[in-house]
Amino acid sequence: MARLIRTEKEVEGRYEEVFVVVEEDALDQWPAGPRDVVGRPATRVDGLERARGQAVFTADLKLPGMLHAAVLRSPHAHARVARLDLAPALELPGVHAAIGPGDAGVLQRDCGFQGAPVAAVCAATPAQARAAVAAIDVEWEELAAVLDAEEAVAAGHVHGEARVRERGDVEAGFAAADVVVEGEYRTQVVLHNSLETHQAVVQWLGDTLEVHISTQYVWGVRRDIAATLGIPADKVRVVCTYMGGGFGSKNDPGDYTFVAIELARRTGRPVRCALSRREENVVSGNRNATIQRLRIGAKADGTLTALEGEYVNAVGFDGWSSPVEGPMNQLYACPNVRTVTHAAKTNQPPMKAFRAPGFVEGTFGLEALLDVLAARLELDPLELRRRNHAASEPLDGRSYSGKNLLECYRRAEPHWERRHEVRARSTATVKRGVGMASQVWYGGGGPPSYAWVRVGADGRATVVTAMQDIGTGSRTAMAQIAAEELGIPLEHVTVSLGDTARGPFASISAGSSTIPSMGPAVRAAAADARRQIEEIAEQMGKTGAPVAEVVSVLESGQILGKGARGPNPAGLQVLTFGVQVAEVAVDVETGEVWVERIAAVHDVGRVINPLGASSQIEGGIVQGIGHTLSEHRLDDPASGVVLTTGLDAYKLPTIADVPEIVGELVDVPDAQLTNLGSKGLGEPPIVPTAAAIANAIRDATGAEVHELPISREELLRALREARERERVGAPAGV
Amino acid sequence: MELRRASELDTGGATPIAGGTEVVPLVRAGLLRPAELVDVRGVVPRGVEDGTIGAGTTLAELEREPSIPAALREACRLAASPQIREMGSLGGNLLQATRCWYWRLGWECRLHGGDRCFARDGEHREHAIFANGYCASAHPSDVAAALLALDATVVTTRRELPVGELYHVPAGDDRRTTTLEAGELIVSVRVPAADASVYLKAGGRKLFSFPLVGVAAARTGGSTRIALAGVAPVPWLHSGSFAAASPLPRNAYKVELAEALVRRALAALA
Repeated sequence: MARLIRTEKEVEGRYEEVFVVVEEDALDQWPAGPRDVVGRPATRVDGLERARGQAVFTADLKLPGMLHAAVLRSPHAHARVARLDLAPALELPGVHAAIGPGDAGVLQRDCGFQGAPVAAVCAATPAQARAAVAAIDVEWEELAAVLDAEEAVAAGHVHGEARVRERGDVEAGFAAADVVVEGEYRTQVVLHNSLETHQAVVQWLGDTLEVHISTQYVWGVRRDIAATLGIPADKVRVVCTYMGGGFGSKNDPGDYTFVAIELARRTGRPVRCALSRREENVVSGNRNATIQRLRIGAKADGTLTALEGEYVNAVGFDGWSSPVEGPMNQLYACPNVRTVTHAAKTNQPPMKAFRAPGFVEGTFGLEALLDVLAARLELDPLELRRRNHAASEPLDGRSYSGKNLLECYRRAEPHWERRHEVRARSTATVKRGVGMASQVWYGGGGPPSYAWVRVGADGRATVVTAMQDIGTGSRTAMAQIAAEELGIPLEHVTVSLGDTARGPFASISAGSSTIPSMGPAVRAAAADARRQIEEIAEQMGKTGAPVAEVVSVLESGQILGKGARGPNPAGLQVLTFGVQVAEVAVDVETGEVWVERIAAVHDVGRVINPLGASSQIEGGIVQGIGHTLSEHRLDDPASGVVLTTGLDAYKLPTIADVPEIVGELVDVPDAQLTNLGSKGLGEPPIVPTAAAIANAIRDATGAEVHELPISREELLRALREARERERVGAPAGV
Repeated sequence: MELRRASELDTGGATPIAGGTEVVPLVRAGLLRPAELVDVRGVVPRGVEDGTIGAGTTLAELEREPSIPAALREACRLAASPQIREMGSLGGNLLQATRCWYWRLGWECRLHGGDRCFARDGEHREHAIFANGYCASAHPSDVAAALLALDATVVTTRRELPVGELYHVPAGDDRRTTTLEAGELIVSVRVPAADASVYLKAGGRKLFSFPLVGVAAARTGGSTRIALAGVAPVPWLHSGSFAAASPLPRNAYKVELAEALVRRALAALA
């Protein structure tokens, strides 16, 4: 029976209360372990299509008569348009239309950050559009910019009140501590740098708007466009069939889509608006910088007595304050915790969600300082973490729906044990060490999400749902779930997705939610079809016969199954957990770091596709290595203008930076969570990587790094500091 | 913009292009606006013979060339990415412009005719620690540093000159970074044999990184020459001391890095 419930919906650590209609999730979970299809490695169902270049991404789409848009963006961090004349642009060859402030809501005269959109043109070719934008006659009135996050907080330039979380009595906790350690940690701005830049191709077909867009949420784009334009949502069709990376930065329509919509309306033609790589590296969002002042108090046996953190999120001109304090609040059992998180508003490009926003940054600070504590107490870092394991959610005492972090620790032991052998391979100049860090993050997904399954007389099935595969392999996982439930081979299942006009509402692909939100809906739909097939079989006197045999009587008829994602378990906390162990070599004279091996053990419930899961682990760790060692958006300190707009200056890791990666998953279904018991794995693997590497560097050299990225400058500083500490600390006369 | 193939070494004032790994990005960025590009790959010599390297030889060919000194081979191998090394020529590599982000973004700095060095007052963590008073740009060529240590001679369409004299530290009265004249083309490079040589490099990632610091050292007879990449607006012949270094607030680490690599290079030659 359909049931209206009020439930907490979480995406990327942000909760909202929503009403959803759910259907009871009546299916029992499959027993743990690999099934016929689910739990067995499957190569991507669209792998060949992608490899052959046949998969059509938004970037590939060419519609007849399509025009190309380019956008005039503020070159200044803070400026007002004093004068703007579009006429010179309109005179250039190939130009069809030009729009400015007032013509589309996203175009503004007052620019609070570099890259703020002011005007746009569309022309027959991208080069003509760019030339036309350059020809726009514009005069800027530069205004004073706020660029320093701490100064912004001090001056009250903030996004809302500081977020305070407090439990117990922190001062009493520190008073009861045998040891108190403290440290200041800083993390840098990093850029998503999706392979496919942010872009949309739009066309008006009568009163219906068709939007092809590289997005993580076709339904969200539809909703936002309909609301902005004031048209019914069913007059907006949003399509994203293949997608070249988002990492959290493609959850909304973006200015480029609204620019394309207005230009398409004016010209009556399809219009593409695509960010260039340089625009992408300024205005498409970023993982914002953080400052973290942390204090930990503990008993001599390692029991945590108090945790305190003051955090600054350098949000930029717009965005939200990511849960950087989350790990301090949720990773360990500690009765006394107080965190204050400020959200600085500066004249820098807005942040956007980036793969476990906040938790990546917060885990770096917390777990690095925890290793300082372990050293002070002369405790094994793994043992210290075990001793502070949280048996229930420390925030509010709720039980977990499932938690296997201790099992992760147990499985990490052989990797952790390698530290003796690794250290022994050190030389006079190249020191080796091993470090670890724990991971906590969301990833439980939730309703609403729906799917249909269609079975034809040929015994083949099509999963129909308007979700999107953002490159993580969701198509394959959904096909596996349907094949498993129907009892047919994987290659007999097709997945139709990525189109709001073709299929029911589906979840956003963010917050590690695709598998836990969509998987149960797909299984429910397949089960509904299977039930009908079994009923027919019984009438045919063929109870238990294979699906293909039963449905062969249908001719043109079809079996239609529908399914919905059931509710999350009431009163339980649903989280993902894990641990990573990093091995590094450090050249103590040059500050060079080689990450030689990372072992990752994560607990995300049942694994649908072990091959896809290993890709997620590898991808998260590689992105984490970039965050840890080389990626850094640099801004001119005086003007706030971004300097690293190209891939030469903004250093993503290359294959030469990638170590041996050993991924393991506990792979035990979360018995409380849906008909699958699966959580998401998109984000967990990037969460502990920076901290594990920093702790390995400390293990190898004694150097305590306090900043990401761990550049030559930062590491040489930390090495000098460690040598100084050793010299001062050495007994007199030695 | 026209592109034609050269039929002779005299390009008639057109901008020469070989592998295009530098010229094309500069054109795209609007930093180079040539009326005409002339593809010189058909007329500039390619290959190595008796210590003379054709300027059209690619870095990929040189990194596999057994007859040249190890420092040069290594400098080629550690430069750029495999794809770029397959295309990029020796002559083009020697003439590449700085990676200074302000210059690359077209800010009106001294090298672009302005009156400021934005890097000196601004973001300069990858910039010069020597000769940086006027312009703090760092020379990005690994290969040039190796050739400078090896005391190579550049042969152009008009003259022969020691590789060090190909470069010019930009100053108020002359902001050029090379001494090549308009229409002059590098034809080949003569590289004397060395008893031992080495090139060591520190980058921002393992591959595909311009040198934060590159150190080339070559021993010939009783004398050793050391040259550095990434530390000055030109390839920098090392005096043996870092006392003259003038690091900026955020790039002092480069001095420590260079000292370590020089020590290591000398040890490797011993």
